[in-house]
Amino acid sequence: MNQIQLPAGFRDSILDECRKKNELKQTLNAVFESYGYEEIQTPVLEFYQTYSKAFSNLNDQDMYKFFDQEQDILTLRIDMTVPIARAVTTRFKDEMGPFRLRYCANVYKVRPSLSGKRSEVMDCGVELIGLDHHADLEVLACALEALNALNLPNFMLEIGTVQFFECACQIADLNETGRQTLADLIDRKSLVELKEYLDTLPMTNQIRTFFLNLPLLGGEKDVLEKALSLSFAPELESVVLQMKQLDAQLTELGYGGLYQFDFGKIPHLDYYTGIIFEGFVEGVGNSVLSGGRYDKLLQVFGNDLPACGFSFKLDTLAETISIPTKKANIQVLYPQAQIVEALKIAQKLRQKGNVELRLANVETIYIKEEE
Amino acid sequence: MSLSMALTKGRLEKKTVEMLDACGYGTEALKDKGRALVFKDSKKDLEYFLVKANDCITYVEHGVADVGVVGKDTLLEGGKYYYELLDLEIGKCRFIVASLPENDLFNKVGHIKIGTKYPNVARNYFLSKGMDVEIIKIDGSVELSPLLGLCDGIVDIMETGATLKENGLIVLDTVCPISARLIVNKASFKLKRKEVMDLIHDLEQEVLRNAAALE
Repeated sequence: MNQIQLPAGFRDSILDECRKKNELKQTLNAVFESYGYEEIQTPVLEFYQTYSKAFSNLNDQDMYKFFDQEQDILTLRIDMTVPIARAVTTRFKDEMGPFRLRYCANVYKVRPSLSGKRSEVMDCGVELIGLDHHADLEVLACALEALNALNLPNFMLEIGTVQFFECACQIADLNETGRQTLADLIDRKSLVELKEYLDTLPMTNQIRTFFLNLPLLGGEKDVLEKALSLSFAPELESVVLQMKQLDAQLTELGYGGLYQFDFGKIPHLDYYTGIIFEGFVEGVGNSVLSGGRYDKLLQVFGNDLPACGFSFKLDTLAETISIPTKKANIQVLYPQAQIVEALKIAQKLRQKGNVELRLANVETIYIKEEE
Repeated sequence: MSLSMALTKGRLEKKTVEMLDACGYGTEALKDKGRALVFKDSKKDLEYFLVKANDCITYVEHGVADVGVVGKDTLLEGGKYYYELLDLEIGKCRFIVASLPENDLFNKVGHIKIGTKYPNVARNYFLSKGMDVEIIKIDGSVELSPLLGLCDGIVDIMETGATLKENGLIVLDTVCPISARLIVNKASFKLKRKEVMDLIHDLEQEVLRNAAALE
């Protein structure tokens, strides 16, 4: 069979696309390194069990699965956070950290065919493991610095917290089905169905108003006041006050105008326990950065450490930036008889620039330099 | 910042344009189309393009269109990566389950086959009823399939019910009501929040006026 096609959702990356990704990688790595993050590499395969342990709402169909020699189920990693959580608990057993780890690696998710979405994407990010929510500010500052370093025309870091929603569900005494349905509707900002669904739940008007307002509870500073006024319990107020503090600190650090809040942000992954955030860039339909605090994940693997991290989607970012094409700027044309001489000359010229050798119909070696 | 809006071609398009007109938008270009595919609003910083219902979701999900107007029927069948912020309350109809009167679908013992253009909607409906049925995808004239014995029943859109009646089918249940929705790309909502909210606000007022006019 003359097989020339790639599996759905996969693509080759060539020329400028590669260079863009590499350039982005270098820029981001430089920022991460300056924050003290060290590189970690993990295998592309993990046990399926590792993921099913980490997520209670794992979407099986999203994962590429295989069998190994023992007939155990393997999967292509769907993220880097879980492999790193696993690695930290085994490699740094009984150490308290903090661990600052960075990575740049391909991750895999099965995407619907013909949807134009990628099944293999490169994630470039950091995990700060062993520090509690007091370190949120450091992680957010690092994310903002990284976004800044990319020289994007217009970007926005959107900050939310899972606690606002989770706390409200607990106080409202919702069961798991109710919580999940609300989470889905609020996350999709599906205002029509949200209203219909809330009408079927037994709750006070105050709580109903709270949930009804969550999807649009986003924007600049003034949203914090609105969130405070909607809070129907002291626990909720204290969540908002924490966000207010973050806001004051970020402004003091000079990041004002680069971030927003969204209290209606509900993560798809159920391992987040505190702040969650996403970065958006003009001209890109999806977030280019996502992250958050996950204080219970490492516990699953046997080392009870809090953690927070984020990652950039390099492929999506690469589509937004343009860089000048780079080609060999010196050409050495030579006749077959003088190939050795041509290689010698080329070797010297390489100190000046990139050299391309070309066999040509010429009498003697000829050097062409471009500006 | 300028907004781009994907409108679903056909029946919904006319009703959406009527709504936009009533809100004071300049949709002249949409009425005198010629060969153009992209239309500029003459009063607001807005650009329209016309697409098929399924493509409306695709364009919005990819962020090529910031917002889109599309029927709930299509949304129920398609992707989920968008915000659904407003019910325009136009293009109203409903999903129904129908069969021949002699096919007692919900009490049948044995294998049940359902013909539909909307496999996801049908699957979810029967799952919610605790029934395991076989779904057969049919692309047109779904009413035909039970008549010819391909299926025991159908899940389809019903507006007036005339077609079903003509073919001797009876409605057994309503799956859900359908109407046109305004969907918004997630990133657009973050980066163009004000523009999007203004548009929603304008259309929302019109929805309320239409509802008041009906009463």
